[in-house]
Amino acid sequence: MAEVYITGVAMTDIGWHELDAHELGARVCVESLRDAGLLPSQVEGLLSTPHGYMADTRKMITQRMADYLGMKCGLMLEIDSGGNSSSVAVHIAFDRIRLGILDSCLIFASQREAPPKRIKNDIAGHFHLIKAANSLYDSYQAAYGVISPLPFYAMSIQRYMYRHGIAPEDIARVAVLLRDHALRHPQAAYKEPLSLEEVLASNLISPPIHRLESSEMHDGAAAVVLVSEELARGNDRAVRVAGIAEAHDPTSFIPYRGEIDRFPCVERAARTALSRSGYGIADIDVAEVYGAFAGMEPMMYEEIGFFAPGEAPAAIKEWRTTFGGDVLINPSGGRLSLGHPAYVTPLLEFTEVVRQLRGEAGERQRPGASVGLVHTEQGFINGSIVAILDQPDGRAAGTG
Amino acid sequence: MQDRAAEEFFSRLAEGRFQTMRCSGCGEIHYPPRVICPLCLGEDLEWVDMPREGILAAFTQQKDAIRCRKPDVLGLVELEGIGNVLTRIDAAFEELRIGQRVVFDTWTSPDSVVLHQFRPID
Repeated sequence: MAEVYITGVAMTDIGWHELDAHELGARVCVESLRDAGLLPSQVEGLLSTPHGYMADTRKMITQRMADYLGMKCGLMLEIDSGGNSSSVAVHIAFDRIRLGILDSCLIFASQREAPPKRIKNDIAGHFHLIKAANSLYDSYQAAYGVISPLPFYAMSIQRYMYRHGIAPEDIARVAVLLRDHALRHPQAAYKEPLSLEEVLASNLISPPIHRLESSEMHDGAAAVVLVSEELARGNDRAVRVAGIAEAHDPTSFIPYRGEIDRFPCVERAARTALSRSGYGIADIDVAEVYGAFAGMEPMMYEEIGFFAPGEAPAAIKEWRTTFGGDVLINPSGGRLSLGHPAYVTPLLEFTEVVRQLRGEAGERQRPGASVGLVHTEQGFINGSIVAILDQPDGRAAGTG
Repeated sequence: MQDRAAEEFFSRLAEGRFQTMRCSGCGEIHYPPRVICPLCLGEDLEWVDMPREGILAAFTQQKDAIRCRKPDVLGLVELEGIGNVLTRIDAAFEELRIGQRVVFDTWTSPDSVVLHQFRPID
């Protein structure tokens, strides 16, 4: 079957935006097309996601964008699979192109949330959004008043720390390291360094999770262009999608039958994607991992297969996941410090890995990066997508 | 709006009954309850009692929530033959530890909803 390439990526700064979600989306669509050397009239598939969780719903987002940019598509889709949404979109586009049905797809996501402060200052005016947040959970979870998965993650991290004897500093250190990474990223939401003491002194918002170990929601937008081998020919900045896989567990938030600190879908998605790509886990130079909390990062590194269960915190402490280490994980700053517009996050991860493999990651560049991994998840890691990207002809990035 | 099994679960709970559904065809017990057995696709299920003692697997508190806010404690209790149940824990956060034995009780929220909670035995 034909190969599939990424030839365009774009992202806005991450933070709070004033532009309307539609216009924010249009900006990254246009920038990713310029990056790919395509015009809107050449786009055959257009895929997107909702504009946020705590956002008033707007439907038919892709149709509006197709009209605005003049795209006559053979595929138009708006996907809502929680945090996986935009990577599900990449997966579907990948399949359509691989089957020879389409030659080019544009995937975009733009998120504009109601800022948490605005909600807190006017609970009555936003009560419909709070009720909607509670209704994400089944009756047996919603009854306890839950409006975010935060307490579930807290119990998961508590259990993981208990099982492996992990200390609070080992978790806090992840937030400090990701902030160090983000300081090398001009588009990251956070610009100030963070100390271990600051993290450990911040409020326990849901014990054992400190406020500075929890990613905040942000606005932002990103877009990715996927094309066929034919359209990628002669483009020496093209990055190949070497393998992609999706796996789900039969759970919705709390795993009633499983362990709260294990996520089998991540292991399955990673193993399948690697096997489809022909690479092994030791071949990965750079990875973007979807960890919304500092404590989830080591758990995800372990489920993906970078480290044995319980061993990631020691590896992080020994600088094995940062610049100059065995594998560079979350050079962007990750969800914690790049910022986390959840529907956009998977496309931010693809953007970072593509920049790394092209040798265009600036101060964050891992010299010679040639194979990368993207991991995304949805719900309380009830489902996961893993993609493996590489340099099609073995060109090593950043070596001139 | 709740599905029928959930409505029935909470109305039984309000009467002090802590129950879920077992498939009469294949005998499998399902928690949460449901009106169709996903294993054999049978639709003949009956209410059965769940164990009233379990093990505290994890616990935390939530600040932003529409019920059971801090200082209330949320916990995950392992019930033999059932699995994990999300519940309220009737104790101070500082006094709890993973692995503690806990026992069932009902709790009426300030907004008059009857939920289950568990309390440490030792």
